[in-house]
Amino acid sequence: MMLARVADSLYWVGRYVERAEHFSRLSEVMLNATLDRTDAAFQAAKIARAAVGDAALALASNPVDLARALTLDRDNGGSVVMSLARARENARQVRDQITSESWERLNLLYLRSTSSRSEAAFNADPQGFLSEIVTDLHLFKGAADATMSHGEGWRFMVAGVHLERALLIARLLKASFIDGYGASVDEPISLVAVLRMACALEPYLRVYTADLNARFILEFLMFDEDFPRSIRYCTAHIEQSLGHLSRGRDSGRSDPLRLAGRLNARLAYADIEEIEGPGAGALLAAVEAECKAIHEAMYDTFVAYPLEMRLPA
Amino acid sequence: MARPSGYAASAAYDEMFATTGETRSHYALLHSRIEALGPEALADRQRTLERSFLLQGITFTVYGAENTTERIIPTDLFPRIVSAAEWATIEAGLSQRLRALNLFLADIYGPQKILSDGMIPRDLVLGAPSYRREMQHLFVPHGSYVNVCGSDLIRGPTGEFFVLEDNLRVPSGVSYMLANRDASRRTFPDVFRQAGVRPIERYPDTLLATLKTMAGDWRPNPQVVVLTPGVYNSAYYEHAYLARLMGVPLVEGRDLAVHDDLVYMRTTAGLRRVDVIYRRVDDDFIDPLTFRRDSSLGVAGLFNAYRSGSVVICNAPGTGVADDKAVYAYVPSIIRYYLDEDAILPNVKTFLCRVPSELNHVLANLDKLVVKAVGASGGYGMLIGPHASRAERENFAAALKADPENYIAQPTIQLSTAPCLVDGAIEPRHVDLRPFILSSDKVVVTPGALTRVALKRGSLVVNSSQGGGSKDTWVQSAEAAPIVRGPGT
Repeated sequence: MMLARVADSLYWVGRYVERAEHFSRLSEVMLNATLDRTDAAFQAAKIARAAVGDAALALASNPVDLARALTLDRDNGGSVVMSLARARENARQVRDQITSESWERLNLLYLRSTSSRSEAAFNADPQGFLSEIVTDLHLFKGAADATMSHGEGWRFMVAGVHLERALLIARLLKASFIDGYGASVDEPISLVAVLRMACALEPYLRVYTADLNARFILEFLMFDEDFPRSIRYCTAHIEQSLGHLSRGRDSGRSDPLRLAGRLNARLAYADIEEIEGPGAGALLAAVEAECKAIHEAMYDTFVAYPLEMRLPA
Repeated sequence: MARPSGYAASAAYDEMFATTGETRSHYALLHSRIEALGPEALADRQRTLERSFLLQGITFTVYGAENTTERIIPTDLFPRIVSAAEWATIEAGLSQRLRALNLFLADIYGPQKILSDGMIPRDLVLGAPSYRREMQHLFVPHGSYVNVCGSDLIRGPTGEFFVLEDNLRVPSGVSYMLANRDASRRTFPDVFRQAGVRPIERYPDTLLATLKTMAGDWRPNPQVVVLTPGVYNSAYYEHAYLARLMGVPLVEGRDLAVHDDLVYMRTTAGLRRVDVIYRRVDDDFIDPLTFRRDSSLGVAGLFNAYRSGSVVICNAPGTGVADDKAVYAYVPSIIRYYLDEDAILPNVKTFLCRVPSELNHVLANLDKLVVKAVGASGGYGMLIGPHASRAERENFAAALKADPENYIAQPTIQLSTAPCLVDGAIEPRHVDLRPFILSSDKVVVTPGALTRVALKRGSLVVNSSQGGGSKDTWVQSAEAAPIVRGPGT
């Protein structure tokens, strides 16, 4: 039992933190991949533009401008700095619920990335700047995992992380492999870039060896049971978190647990052949739609319920 | 050890150096440690301290046109030390004062005997803007209207402590007291160990116990919450800090709902009863149905729930009538009336401008007095005569004549000074003392305080809203006088 507003804020801390991490990594990989002027470099930039999903940003003329806008632009709600600011603002509103160890990590990251010197630091070494943010976010997650009680508040935060991650990976895969969204990546070097954007290169190699092809990457990032950035891993953990959160609660029609369970089963028992051809696009679209439905159901069930319905007996 | 030559002596009482220039004995350890460290090590520790405050988020937000920045509350490195004997007087005086003021509130919101007996003018009390008619004849557990009090004490040139203000509404600053302590333990660990400093770390659990006691016996294990105006309030850090250390929910008005005169909070598992609200929202804003209708910070129907007895609000609404600046002048009489004792801690001499003869005296001596508007606080609406320009004094004189009831005046007191680290040098700055007192079925004075510092040289204004800072306050225990001397003595 915790305050509804607090649960909502913790959920959003999870979502914003994950978003900041993903776009930092994506920008860093893109900057690295576009150092040389090959087809692969061109594809990597195209993936990044499509995965950002922001028409205004996608107009940026070169990769460094794109990365700078994606990282530092305060007018763009999706930028890394704004995600960090919002994560921190949500954390500040529930400061009493977050351990000092995790709060100080997030606060430090916020202070550094919003300081007046951040743009100069980015310009001096964009990749270094971005990889430091990713490292610090790992430290925040580690500190939170090691010091916060893994109770209800924690579950809301983790549900936010996994829901956001499922959406981001789905978008990245669409941008990389689905016709009509972005690039149809086939160059081995750009396939490596896709894997790096999902922080998945080394785990992938261990399963599939250096046999790089789009089909295997889709399979790995959608269905792998153990890799924490596969969609299936995310949906399994969303279901697990919601299972804890829904204990002893009567489930209504929009029960988020039911939706999460259904989505997870769809991925767990999917026919691998389903991702051949247009099937992959349909499945990724379904993942996005279902994640949004889970998000709404969580809000209706835990946060914005009508008062009359929930008076204690 | 003696006062260094760069440390300017003045008419004010100095906390560390006697008028002869000798280091006061209870400061000897600290002074020798400061000397031993030297300017560079001190500056280094100051930076570490500031960084630690910034990281912890002990900041207030400055909203600018382009972007918003966060600043830390200025904090001085050197603790202020209060000897055991001095503290004994302060403690007894504060406890006496709060007992009397709670009796006064119970009387004012009850039979009003003190008014019938003519001890205080009826209109001065009942006409005060902070008087809440809605509180008349309400039951308040243990007669404890004020559960958390943060009095402001000052020390005059002779070394005697005076009560300058009783803060009985929603006093703040206790988180800075605790954060400063945390910092000074790390800055001067060796001195701290030897100085016999009394601990203040029990404040959060003593506060929780106080709040639970206010719930009475009818609800076992009462649900306590801290009510904050929200993240944009300048004291938000403190609200979150206290909630975290007490382990109770930090709620905003929108988290609460009233149904059939019961107060609930919205949780993920539906509505839950709330029994005690430690509110950090002013009277005016707690319930738009009863008080200010434009308030969005409070909870509609909260006051009716309170009136029905289903929830306790701490401090009780209406306590402001007892810390009204005009009522203040009567506190020594209030103590005598209810306790039949003389006030242990004296008041500062106060002229009530509502009395014609006193008004004339004030007008004739504007250049020597501090004039305060009765309703204002936080250093606003104030004239410090000796520091004011002729035009400012003339403006105030006009305001005084137009609305004398709204003003009081007090002699300008040279607040005591304490050593502070200012731009690398050790300089005296004026300070006051804000201890925190808790009251339910008993009164507990926390053995520590927030020492507020006027950072500008010569300034007497310590309010944080007027650019003041703070420092830690060490209260020495009676047993442990400094036996071990540090290097250099």
